[in-house]
Amino acid sequence: MNQTGCPEVKVPFPVFFTVGIVSLAENLLVVVAVMRSRNLHSPMYCFMCSLAAFNTIASVTKTWENLMIVLADAGHLERRGPPETDLDDVMDSLLCMSFVGSISSFLAIAVDRYITIFHALRYHNIMTMQRTAAILGLIWTSCAVLAVLMVKFFNFQFIVICFIVFFVVSLAAICFLYVYMFMMARIHAKSIAALPGGGRDKSQHQRRWGSNMRGALTLTILFGAFVVCWAPFFVHLVIITVCPMNPYCECYRSLFELHVVLMMSHALIDPAIYAFRMAELRHTFRKMLFCSGWKFCL
Amino acid sequence: MSDFHNRSQVSARRSDYVWQYEYYDDEEPVSFEGLKAHRYSIVIGFWVGLAVFVIFMFFVLTLLTKTGAPHQENPELGEKWHQPEGCLVDINGHQDDNDKAFSRPLLEGSRSYFNFYISEEDQAHEKQKPGDKRSSAKDKAGRLQRSGELDEMDEDIEESGAHQPLNGLIEKSKSDRECAFLSHFNIPNFVNLDHGSTLGEDDLLYEPSVILERQSQAHNGHCDTH
Repeated sequence: MNQTGCPEVKVPFPVFFTVGIVSLAENLLVVVAVMRSRNLHSPMYCFMCSLAAFNTIASVTKTWENLMIVLADAGHLERRGPPETDLDDVMDSLLCMSFVGSISSFLAIAVDRYITIFHALRYHNIMTMQRTAAILGLIWTSCAVLAVLMVKFFNFQFIVICFIVFFVVSLAAICFLYVYMFMMARIHAKSIAALPGGGRDKSQHQRRWGSNMRGALTLTILFGAFVVCWAPFFVHLVIITVCPMNPYCECYRSLFELHVVLMMSHALIDPAIYAFRMAELRHTFRKMLFCSGWKFCL
Repeated sequence: MSDFHNRSQVSARRSDYVWQYEYYDDEEPVSFEGLKAHRYSIVIGFWVGLAVFVIFMFFVLTLLTKTGAPHQENPELGEKWHQPEGCLVDINGHQDDNDKAFSRPLLEGSRSYFNFYISEEDQAHEKQKPGDKRSSAKDKAGRLQRSGELDEMDEDIEESGAHQPLNGLIEKSKSDRECAFLSHFNIPNFVNLDHGSTLGEDDLLYEPSVILERQSQAHNGHCDTH
């Protein structure tokens, strides 16, 4: 190994395990809460449940892979044997599936919120539970098919380019939808403030400024987390396609494990940004976790 | 045997080369001599670019919150302020007619944001029928805050509203504002309320104005009689 090169940055295994197990616990909690509670059977919560399910698959897969790496390092597993490479293919497929699935779930949540605001009169006609089930079925089957195809034919550059294009297009679509909703909500809040009884005195203005900032901060966190966690891995894919032999690119590639930890931590913070912000879901959690058997918890 | 070697070569390119990183030694080693810039320049450039993007996005969003001039108040609204909730029922009844009138995004957004609460209230009523034993105000509060980041916008609207502590009363004032808002459609300068919009869709407001006036007159008739 060339000593003046960029050494690979190794992330200790306990970090991987902690991140994996905590994100698994959180997302599993969301999935169980949505499935068990009858009043959470609405399209919005179904999409969040799907997102949490994909994150659960990703966490399980990554944790399992790390376990196998630990075992291989300890010498209990042969790295290049046929069962290991097959298992590795399966795990790669599951990871691809969870990645494409979580992006599709984000897109579905954004579209659902958009319809909620801008087509509210027809929302219950547009977004019936049957259509939600059909959309979720479509997302899951297409993710499974894409994952298998991508892993089987990864050496074709076309597939990698498709991956990258899908990521960029989804990001742009989600960004547009949310910013549009944000803008319209601002305008309507101003219209309401213009009605008599509100919006005139200074404390009102300050409070409105405060909530505006909060809205902007929320959206920034939503997008910022998505971009910061997923972009490094994607740039990695771009780099191994475009410049495998370049020394600068090699130095970027040496940080691969850090980028994987970032991706896993997105599964960790997803519930915090999407699911735990909704009062109904928090209420269901409290009921589930703390009120089993207590009579006064309604 | 060569199959496995090929597969492992391919898999070295995939995410699992965390295991098999030593394969890069088998290929031509990357030469690090004669580098003009810093070794990690791509890494640094990428992260700086990402940070700039996120901060830029935050500033764009805060700038969007400052667009729009203060709106003029309309003294006629004060008369319609205390209309009862009867108009809620009427709005939902004319749902099919409203579809065409409110197909324009800007207008539909204006009405739909209020009707977000109306449809939620209906859902709350439907859900209460199977016999969920919960306090109705809390149930409605839970239903009203469906979207995560719109919670802030909900609070914003409640603050600028009638300052009533109970959620039921807040819904009532929202429905009152709905009736008041509808009365705007009769006024020619309704467009001015939304001149803060940067979307440039003000022209669209003129087209369905005839349909709107008919609808709003029907609604105002109901509002007035209650």
